[in-house]
Amino acid sequence: MEKIKTVIIDDEKLARDIIKNFLSTNNEFEIIAEASNGFEGIKLINELKPDLIFLDVQMPKINGFEMLELIENPPLIIFTTAFDQYAIKAFEINAIDYLLKPFSKERFNESLERIKKIHLENDKSKIEIFNKISNNLPNQENLERIVFKNGSKINVIDVENIIFIEAQDDYTMFYTKEGNFLKQKTMKYFEENLDPKKFIRTHRSYIVKLDQIKQIDIIEKESYQLTLFNSKKLPVSKSGYSKLKELFN
Amino acid sequence: MTNPFTTNRKIFASYTLIWLFIFIASIILIFFTQDIKINSAVIDSAIFTFIYFILGIGVWYTVRFNSLETYKTPKLILNHFVASILTSTIWITTGSLISLNILSDDPNYVLFINSSYIWRFLIGILFYIVLISIDYLIIYYNNFQEKVLKESELKSLVKEAELNALKYQINPHFIFNSLNSISSLTISNPQLAQEMTIKLSTFLRNTLSRNDSQKSKLIDEINAAKLYLEIEKIRFDDKFELIEEIDLECKNFEVPSMILQPLFENSIKHGVYESLEKVTIKLSCHKENNFIKISVENDFDNKSISKKGAGIGLKNIYNRMKLIYGQENLVEVIKEKSKFIVNIYIPNN
Repeated sequence: MEKIKTVIIDDEKLARDIIKNFLSTNNEFEIIAEASNGFEGIKLINELKPDLIFLDVQMPKINGFEMLELIENPPLIIFTTAFDQYAIKAFEINAIDYLLKPFSKERFNESLERIKKIHLENDKSKIEIFNKISNNLPNQENLERIVFKNGSKINVIDVENIIFIEAQDDYTMFYTKEGNFLKQKTMKYFEENLDPKKFIRTHRSYIVKLDQIKQIDIIEKESYQLTLFNSKKLPVSKSGYSKLKELFN
Repeated sequence: MTNPFTTNRKIFASYTLIWLFIFIASIILIFFTQDIKINSAVIDSAIFTFIYFILGIGVWYTVRFNSLETYKTPKLILNHFVASILTSTIWITTGSLISLNILSDDPNYVLFINSSYIWRFLIGILFYIVLISIDYLIIYYNNFQEKVLKESELKSLVKEAELNALKYQINPHFIFNSLNSISSLTISNPQLAQEMTIKLSTFLRNTLSRNDSQKSKLIDEINAAKLYLEIEKIRFDDKFELIEEIDLECKNFEVPSMILQPLFENSIKHGVYESLEKVTIKLSCHKENNFIKISVENDFDNKSISKKGAGIGLKNIYNRMKLIYGQENLVEVIKEKSKFIVNIYIPNN
């Protein structure tokens, strides 16, 4: 039988070591690579197409969740982290397991059993699980940064630098001070996860950063338009106008 | 506090009941001691008790605005003396005006009321005294209950603050990751695992016995903070290095205890945790005019988008320094393109 190809992604070598050690007694698994940050992780996953990754959450530049957003067909995921606060989010994106550091070998082996079961039963169940990854549920905290992938280039953008967001079918286009970026997530997701004190949904197709708004004009009865400081003009819906009115009063 | 006679149903009911009792007592007293018809006695009692019933509710406000805490006793007595005379006068004047109007055809009654002003006046004063006593008791009871409530609230607030302080001192993320490193080392390098356990224990002991008001020698502070760095160094596999430039004369200088470690924690958190390359942390200490300048400097990428909660550690230091030395601006934060520097100035007296 083919071995389960595994990649370990953690910024601490000792944390990777213990996973390696625990895995070494299970010959169903083969460690094909290790990464010490999210960027390396993305590269390795895309090149090597592993079946399973062990993923730390807190890593430099981009965290484990942000890394997953940038991968098209993520493998099975087991999170390993010292924080318990990400557990809900991890399961929302269908992680197979969530190991709290430090973990025992018994607990670790339980995770491996789950993996083996899923891997053996049928590969198709995997796909079903992964499709849900892109629709992950809102987190408790507002977004502080957003990661974009443009070919092989990864951009991490501070939400402070966003000017406005435009809906483009299943995607959203971000117009930022650092350029324009496309993201495969819904307007609803960003409406719910960006700081409502800073961002406002002014239209079905637009979310605007409040401090970028220069003025709001009436075009004709019940029809409004706002002008941004970069002189871009955007339409405003009726409900968007009433939200703006409430905010600026 | 609102008027309990109008807002508290129970108090209002008892109050009404007492006046009803006084009303009946008054009828009996007048009817049996004076040569007066029963219906005149009833009307007189009804008028006078009803008027005082209303006035009595108003007496609350004289008590409310003459609280025992804000006024001195002579002033209080004077206020109430004047108020009681006024109340009693109003009572008798309005009462007799109405009753004389209704019972003008009862000559016995007219005679009776004319002879009763003095003792009615005294009863009015007595009512007033009883009423304010009750009012003060109600206020006292309420304040007491509020105090009990506030005290328990305060207690829980203090507990929460203490807990937060502890949580802040012992960063759980750091502890659990260190324990994970130890767990890993027990397999690969038991000797180092043992060393790290000792370091972590010493570190925890130091943090738990931390006292914000204590001072210690700079050199001890440096050694304590280095312990923290050594633990992080084992975790991060030499992802950073420490350079020290400490003037000899600074080493024995007294500084607030635990002032350095938060600075290093800051360097590690924003420099090392967020960096892909090796980070240099520089600690320097020089005499500068009337100050000892301690400076912690680390490489940092000003493009990395900082996490929430950043700056809490620095703010704490700022507040502590202000508290200890009574001077502002003893902490200076400099953010350059690729360097993050915190300078602390300790007054040298």
